[in-house]
Amino acid sequence: MNIKGSPWKAGSLLLLLVSNLLLCQSVAPLPICPGGAARCQVTLRDLFDRAVVLSHYIHNLSSEMFSEFDKRYTHGRGFITKAINSCHTSSLATPEDKEQAQQMNQKDFLSLIVSILRSWNEPLYHLVTEVRGMQEAPEAILSKAVEIEEQTKRLLEGMELIVSQVHPETKENEIYPVWSGLPSLQMADEESRLSAYYNLLHCLRRDSHKIDNYLKLLKCRIIHNNNC
Amino acid sequence: MDLWQLLLTLALAGSSDAFSGSEAILSRAPWSLQSVNPGLKTNSSKEPKFTKCRSPERETFSCHWTDEVHHGTKNLGPIQLFYTRRNTQEWTQEWKECPDYVSAGENSCYFNSSFTSIWIPYCIKLTSNGGTVDEKCFSVDEIVQPDPPIALNWTLLNVSLTGIHADIQVRWEAPRNADIQKGWMVLEYELQYKEVNETKWKMMDPILTTSVPVYSLKVDKEYEVRVRSKQRNSGNYGEFSEVLYVTLPQMSQFTCEEDFYFPWLLIIIFGIFGLTVMLFVFLFSKQQRIKMLILPPVPVPKIKGIDPDLLKEGKLEEVNTILAIHDSYKPEFHSDDSWVEFIELDIDEPDEKTEESDTDRLLSSDHEKSHSNLGVKDGDSGRTSCCEPDILETDFNANDIHEGTSEVAQPQRLKGEADLLCLDQKNQNNSPYHDACPATQQPSVIQAEKNKPQPLPTEGAESTHQAAHIQLSNPSSLSNIDFYAQVSDITPAGSVVLSPGQKNKAGMSQCDMHPEMVSLCQENFLMDNAYFCEADAKKCIPVAPHIKVESHIQPSLNQEDIYITTESLTTAAGRPGTGEHVPGSEMPVPDYTSIHIVQSPQGLILNATALPLPDKEFLSSCGYVSTDQLNKIMP
Repeated sequence: MNIKGSPWKAGSLLLLLVSNLLLCQSVAPLPICPGGAARCQVTLRDLFDRAVVLSHYIHNLSSEMFSEFDKRYTHGRGFITKAINSCHTSSLATPEDKEQAQQMNQKDFLSLIVSILRSWNEPLYHLVTEVRGMQEAPEAILSKAVEIEEQTKRLLEGMELIVSQVHPETKENEIYPVWSGLPSLQMADEESRLSAYYNLLHCLRRDSHKIDNYLKLLKCRIIHNNNC
Repeated sequence: MDLWQLLLTLALAGSSDAFSGSEAILSRAPWSLQSVNPGLKTNSSKEPKFTKCRSPERETFSCHWTDEVHHGTKNLGPIQLFYTRRNTQEWTQEWKECPDYVSAGENSCYFNSSFTSIWIPYCIKLTSNGGTVDEKCFSVDEIVQPDPPIALNWTLLNVSLTGIHADIQVRWEAPRNADIQKGWMVLEYELQYKEVNETKWKMMDPILTTSVPVYSLKVDKEYEVRVRSKQRNSGNYGEFSEVLYVTLPQMSQFTCEEDFYFPWLLIIIFGIFGLTVMLFVFLFSKQQRIKMLILPPVPVPKIKGIDPDLLKEGKLEEVNTILAIHDSYKPEFHSDDSWVEFIELDIDEPDEKTEESDTDRLLSSDHEKSHSNLGVKDGDSGRTSCCEPDILETDFNANDIHEGTSEVAQPQRLKGEADLLCLDQKNQNNSPYHDACPATQQPSVIQAEKNKPQPLPTEGAESTHQAAHIQLSNPSSLSNIDFYAQVSDITPAGSVVLSPGQKNKAGMSQCDMHPEMVSLCQENFLMDNAYFCEADAKKCIPVAPHIKVESHIQPSLNQEDIYITTESLTTAAGRPGTGEHVPGSEMPVPDYTSIHIVQSPQGLILNATALPLPDKEFLSSCGYVSTDQLNKIMP
């Protein structure tokens, strides 16, 4: 394992500790460092396992949040047909089916995942802020949004760690699609505002599913050599 | 009608240029007569609708629709499916036709992997003759329905010690077309099993692995097992796999029927036991309320409508009215003392015993004794008071002679405050009992209910109904001693106030003033629970010096339990006044005297023959006045 310098080591320790804590909430805790925290070397397999668990969890939360929002606010009002607005991550060239995913190289794949995760930092932050600021903030949606924001940060850190392990020579690419939907979330017109929220949550669900799928593919490819 | 339809169809066909095969339409005119123009929806045949779109492996998908069947004829125009999908940045409304109508069967459209994109929404529409019949939008993940698992098999894990149950491990494989190896699909499975002759399947929780143990299957039964799969997080469950039959080998020949019967017998037994325990706890506990609830006390006999308190307070008029209601009541002897009854002792019928109570036993014994005692008593006629010790002893002994049982009864009664036996002070600790003037009296003894001295006062009226035992304690030598005596009243303590009765009949007044009488009077006045015959009171009062008696009387009067007859009241009251003529004992005084007027605290005018005047304040009952009223009267 090539770990670049002590910051990475500290970061990995931090990630592992935090991941352990949060993973304990949703899944049975796995022993990270059998040898103790001092000489902890997390295997790539463990990193991927955790990443997959996280991404699965995030996708579950996104699905639930979306369905709750739809049920409560927009059900049967034909928003899906109006949700033509593309997601801000549509500019990224994401594989849309299995063949495309298989054809994508591993490095690009990982970078793509990281980019998507990065691009969702800000929208999630604003989503939480706006939902919290709503009068009669729906608690279920708000709590899920908060949780998704938190877990996405963890997943991003883990992904960056994986990248540093798998492709250490990758230079930090901070380019990611920027979300500019904040004004639409704050619109006065309720219809437009609801449409904006619908779109945002729909995109979040889709992107979290993509990340989950991609990570599972990568895990089977990298760790199990296409033999999960 | 046919002509009309033909004309209509021709008109539509001519006007519309959307139909690709207008000539075909015309040529198929007979069919068209009965077919429906989908756009108009005129007749009853159904429109083709999408039934299902399904993707078994997330790489391809197909959509099916209903076949418009109407008398076996085909539709006017071919049904077409158009789809569109949102490309990268914009929602292109370019509708493309279904690439494959064949591969998925009839009335279906098959999209192979090149047309399938996962995270892109699709919209499809069904058209017939140019008109949209049905439309649907979805994304492929929503319609994922995996194929059923394959290659189910089971292995025996273990058998229970009893040989009745066994555990098995069921294994299967993912459907072939689901790409599990590459991680493209992640499936979860649901296993169901049941006995062969059952109807309801038992379900297990979803699992991610392809093998699962099934516990606690009965060895002698045959089971069916089936599995279905679903993609995690999205889509629906696929079809069930083929049923796997599990026949567990019988290990031993002696398998017993282990049907589970609900242990009704055990429950009943334990329930009864528990209830019994609780009952005993309640019974022996100090909880009077619960005890009362479970075992209510036997009500003591009461006269309906009469409040015992009424009798205590001596509101005779009210009691009279109440009693008058009762038919059985007959105020025979005294109109104003209607609530006092004479209790007759029938000597001629000694076997007239109704109960085996002590009272009756004593009564019966007294029946027998009365004969003999008469003589004895007569022999003691010289004595003036039944309180003479000799008399008491003889009485007691006489009683003892006759019945042994009465001994038991007697002490009980004697001990009771309600005893009216003429008791010796020395012999008994009971309150001394003074009969009426011995010379004249037949001391009337009325036995109260021995076992319940206390309720007696509360049931004053009742006591009068009780069997009274008249015992001659009066050493009167009169041959014509009456066996009847009136109970004037019963004190709350249970002592009985007797009225002198037929003094006149007796004729003899041997109420000589004896010093011993005086002493006795003094003593007795001082005793608690002492009841006084009128004569005694009369005797005592005039004989003793005024001061003495007064001093004695007054404390006695102050005691609550002492009843003094009206005569004694009169005497006591009249004394200070000096104007009153204290009626001596020799004066024939009726048994019951009503206090007619109370002029002053010191004056009482007795109305010897007065009619019962409603004097509400004072008792006009059988010659007793309660101490409250006495206190009012007396200074």
